[in-house]
Amino acid sequence: MKRSFWLVLVFIVALALPSVIGEFWVHVAIEILILGLFAVSFNMLFGYMGQLSFGHAAYFGVGAYATGLLLLKTPLPLPVCFFISMAAAGLAALVFGYFCVRLTGIYFAILTMAFGQLIYYIIFQWYAFTGGDNGLQGIVPPGWLLNVRHYYYFTLFIVIGALVVMWLISASPFGHTMRAIRDNAERTRFIGINVRRYMLINFVIAGMFAGLAGGLLGPFNRSIAPDLCNWQQSGIPVFMTVIGGPLAFFGPMVGAVIYTLLFALITGFTEYWPLTIGLVIILVVLYLPGGVLGLVQKKWIPLHSKKLTPGPNGGAGEEI
Amino acid sequence: MKILKVEHLKKSFGGLQATNDVSFEMQPGELAAIIGPNGAGKSTFFNLLTGYYKADSGRIFFKGQEITNWAPHEIVRLGISRAFQVSNIYPAMTTYENIRQAILTKQKRTLNLFSPAAGMAKKETRELLDISGLSSFADTIAGQLSQGDKKRLELAIALGCRPELLFLDEPTAGMSAEETTQTMELVKRLNRELGLTILFTEHDMSVVFGYAQQLTVLHLGAIIAQGDPGEVRQNATVQKVYLGEEA
Ligand SMILES: Nc1ncnc2c1ncn2[C@@H]1O[C@H](COP(=O)(O)OP(=O)(O)OP(=O)(O)O)[C@@H](O)[C@H]1O
Ligand SMILES: [Mg+2]
Repeated sequence: MKRSFWLVLVFIVALALPSVIGEFWVHVAIEILILGLFAVSFNMLFGYMGQLSFGHAAYFGVGAYATGLLLLKTPLPLPVCFFISMAAAGLAALVFGYFCVRLTGIYFAILTMAFGQLIYYIIFQWYAFTGGDNGLQGIVPPGWLLNVRHYYYFTLFIVIGALVVMWLISASPFGHTMRAIRDNAERTRFIGINVRRYMLINFVIAGMFAGLAGGLLGPFNRSIAPDLCNWQQSGIPVFMTVIGGPLAFFGPMVGAVIYTLLFALITGFTEYWPLTIGLVIILVVLYLPGGVLGLVQKKWIPLHSKKLTPGPNGGAGEEI
Repeated sequence: MKILKVEHLKKSFGGLQATNDVSFEMQPGELAAIIGPNGAGKSTFFNLLTGYYKADSGRIFFKGQEITNWAPHEIVRLGISRAFQVSNIYPAMTTYENIRQAILTKQKRTLNLFSPAAGMAKKETRELLDISGLSSFADTIAGQLSQGDKKRLELAIALGCRPELLFLDEPTAGMSAEETTQTMELVKRLNRELGLTILFTEHDMSVVFGYAQQLTVLHLGAIIAQGDPGEVRQNATVQKVYLGEEA
């Protein structure tokens, strides 16, 4: 199959990469992996469920702070920290998602953003626990991961593992049910699905993987700051997904590569990064409405012509 | 026991009484129709029975269990499904996927997160494609189907829920005369061969007579006549309501 060929090729390149590029670019590659995982988790809501979350960074942030605090204050091994990051982000997603899935479209976007900002302010203000606007410093990974190339491989395998799980979910009956909800939520109710409950489950799963991505960030940067939960940070997976293509599983990953590389290249010689990314987004939206992968995946065209985002999904009379 | 029992059901929209004190019953295995001119309240009645609208007052029972104002998905799970008047399908999914989604839901497999859906419910989906005459459109994106085929798909989705009681809201709306006959013959077969209890609406009286065993005539939200087709045809009020409007 063509797709598996590309996947194997990308995998081989990813394995070989650290031996052919310098340390700066290994850092960039790790960032691509982490933000790509974050963006793919975001797209479980946007591409598969049809709802735009503008507060997804909150769960990324909760995951980052969970692992960061655990590494600073406990002797727990890193993988355990990641599990706790996922659990903590999932729990936050459960609490806030409970309210968010009652809404759709722009109201869903606004409520996710409001809850995201709420988490941001809590982290920002809670000096005793989170270090407030100072963030957390000195988050050191275990010795065998101190070498950035080692951390790269570590991140690569975790991200691949997470992508495999999310890919399985997207191909499962649950994943197809999410597509059904995106396509016609009302019909989905009338075949016997509790739409809100399914949306909530998906919201929690997406939150958990965002939490895992966040967890990977602290030991990589050796520090974290509250900014990584705020709404600008929530915009990053949106941009990546729009660039790469929301209707392809790997779209957000491709978007993460383009976005992060551009960022690394552009900020080297100009401070006009927002302008640059703004222009890129405008070009993509106008000339590549299905994103980069949308170009490749012709079979999705019928989906492209359809308005992707928020439909009149609201309904009454169902409890979670 | 009655499979469906409706007591004094009422629903108004603003000042408009769309369902006006309707009491209604169905026996298991029955094939019945509700007729009435445009705006008589047929769809509203279905919408109340399937949880689309909340009733202002009155009670609904399915096999003795009260289901008044239950959520749609709960009602479906009990064994009631419906086809909508304006086809309500998944326009971006293939015909095959449309039907499979209903079947997977009925089979309680939609919380399965890790096995591929691709191999699931193949036989059941093929079967329904075949029954509804959509086999050759299995891989067509449903939004690109013709109006008549969309209505067929609408029916197939409702059947995918494996209901005991099936509501069909103008199942032949927008169909040619030939498609209409085909669809009504299918409805009849579902009733005879599978023992499905079916209630359908129609505003064209002539379609109804060959098929329904029981007829209920709605007018301005209220029942004005009920009985077998022969009785209803003779009914003076019915003739007056339909005079100049239809047939
Ligand atoms: N959601 C709503 N809000 C306001 N009025 C409504 C609503 N739904 C139905 N109505 C009104 O209730 C009355 C009954 O409508 P309904 O759709 O049940 O009629 P019907 O018998 O199905 O007609 P048709 O043959 O055209 O399908 C109509 O006057 C309609 O305008
Ligand atoms: Mg109607």
